Amino acid sequence: MEKDPVILSAKGLTKKFGGLTAVNNISFELKRGEILGLIGPNGSGKTTLVNLLAGNLRSAGGEIYFNGISIKGLPPYRIGRIGVARTFQIVKPFPGMTVLENIAVGAMNGRSGKKRTIKKAFSIAEEVLEFTGLSNDSGSLAENLSVASRKKLEMAKTLAMDPEVIFFDEVMAGLNHKEIDRSTEIIQKIRERGISVLMIEHVMRAIRSITDRIFVLHHGNKIAEGTPEQVLNDSEVIKAYLGKRYEQLIK
Amino acid sequence: MKKNLLLISILILFSLSPFLTSNNFLIRFLTDILIFSILASSWNIIGGYTGYASFGNVVFFGIGAYSTSILMSNTGLGFFVSMILGGIIAALFALLMGLPILRLKGHYFAIATLGVAEAIKALVQNLNITEGNSGIYLPPPEMSVDGIYTFFFYVTLIVLALLLFLTSIIFKNKFGYNLKAIRENEDSANSMGINTTIYKSAAFSLSGFFSGLAGGIYAFQQGFIKPEPVFNVLITIKMIVMSVFGGLGSLFGPLIGAFTIETISEFLSSYFLVAHTLFLGIVIILMILFAPKGMLDIFINIRKKGLSYFRKNIEEHRV
Ligand SMILES: Nc1ncnc2c1ncn2[C@@H]1O[C@H](COP(=O)(O)OP(=O)(O)OP(=O)(O)O)[C@@H](O)[C@H]1O
Ligand SMILES: [Mg+2]
Repeated sequence: MEKDPVILSAKGLTKKFGGLTAVNNISFELKRGEILGLIGPNGSGKTTLVNLLAGNLRSAGGEIYFNGISIKGLPPYRIGRIGVARTFQIVKPFPGMTVLENIAVGAMNGRSGKKRTIKKAFSIAEEVLEFTGLSNDSGSLAENLSVASRKKLEMAKTLAMDPEVIFFDEVMAGLNHKEIDRSTEIIQKIRERGISVLMIEHVMRAIRSITDRIFVLHHGNKIAEGTPEQVLNDSEVIKAYLGKRYEQLIK
Repeated sequence: MKKNLLLISILILFSLSPFLTSNNFLIRFLTDILIFSILASSWNIIGGYTGYASFGNVVFFGIGAYSTSILMSNTGLGFFVSMILGGIIAALFALLMGLPILRLKGHYFAIATLGVAEAIKALVQNLNITEGNSGIYLPPPEMSVDGIYTFFFYVTLIVLALLLFLTSIIFKNKFGYNLKAIRENEDSANSMGINTTIYKSAAFSLSGFFSGLAGGIYAFQQGFIKPEPVFNVLITIKMIVMSVFGGLGSLFGPLIGAFTIETISEFLSSYFLVAHTLFLGIVIILMILFAPKGMLDIFINIRKKGLSYFRKNIEEHRV
């Protein structure tokens, strides 16, 4: 049987906080093996959308399918085990544990945790450590890491879970140019491993260079979707998100 | 590793004490320390490793004590069977109580556990089967006087050894790592695929089981129990103080705590009655200010860092 080209799809997701509609009737599809960008101004509902997808918040309506199964309403740990991993914009390391242990917890749980022994989990954690360039921090407590390393650790924890889909919520925020390039490279390689990625990012350089498609949120509404080329030149997107200064820059 | 070796040899020496002394009061006192070691180590599983500070753990001790007493005096079951059943009943109670209460965090959890413990005490004071405030007598052990002291010492020691062995295995494995992950960041643990409710409940049950065994031993040793002493909130306070004093989330911390605190508070309570509760309060405040990671951590770090160790703690943990 041919695999469905769409690995994850959402239909009509909505989330209200009191009178504020943070996410309004959003639908989108994540294709197998693609990097899908999600952009939008501050407070446009990007993180809230990820929270809905990952089970941290409940959508008022709509549906979420992963590999053809409905995952809407499942608790986060079930979604994590099924093969969908997420990072947190405000990073959530296990501060009092070493970096290696942080990652090993991902390897012991997630999608393949049940099949792995504790030893295997640690050897996978070593690999992930290497892959994300955290080897030098292996034995440090996570609370002692620099901002850049903390962001990497967020990525590493999800990778160890052996997921099919990862949501990256601003894993490049606060990094310098060199670190951004390094993280961009890592995300590229993650895709080459066959993992489908939804990435929220304000760093345009990264978004432009690695995403296959982008969709844009504004006040909880989807205002554009397409290739980076199309979306970043869309006049409504420029007006809503990128602002006048960018318009001047292009001209 | 060296540190563990030292502690293990102290433990072995300690375990030979009934052969080294014929002073029954001393053996009895050491047995009390062992009972508190079990209680503090059990508390450490939920409070230290999992990060859920229970202020009601005495309820498991009390349930274990009462279950053992009722089983022994009403059904004629032997001590060991009754004690183990008492532990199981306490564990099941922990599970039932944990499922709703472990959803609460921080001080809400603390207050809820305190409330449940007090409620169960009131229940036991008013039920027929527990004989209310008049208390329950247990059949006395059929042994020589010296034999009784040695018997309780070793039963308690074996339960403690079992608990420590189990704890050390757990915290080298997935179960233990997941509990620590929950303590360190529950949201992240959840998203990584950890069913936090199940893990927390299991930790709470384990804590309840061993506290229940301690209760059973205590009841049989006393020969008579009443609600007020076995559900006394002061026992919970001691478990917490001992764990914090020795070092939260460490294997031997609670033992160091039980030994030191029980020795000092025994000494104080025989001279000044009020002083010993005051002492517990002062210990908590000093430890939290100067050494929130406990005595074990002090031993490890003081040689490297000297007095600046305390200064650093004060700076880092300023409220
Ligand atoms: N738990 C919450 N309770 C109330 N309001 C919330 C909550 N979470 C988010 N919001 C509001 O919902 C809106 C969308 O927030 P969200 O965090 O999803 O934005 P975002 O697109 O991720 O922004 P940023 O780029 O700054 O990360 C904001 O107005 C925010 O204040
Ligand atoms: Mg956000």
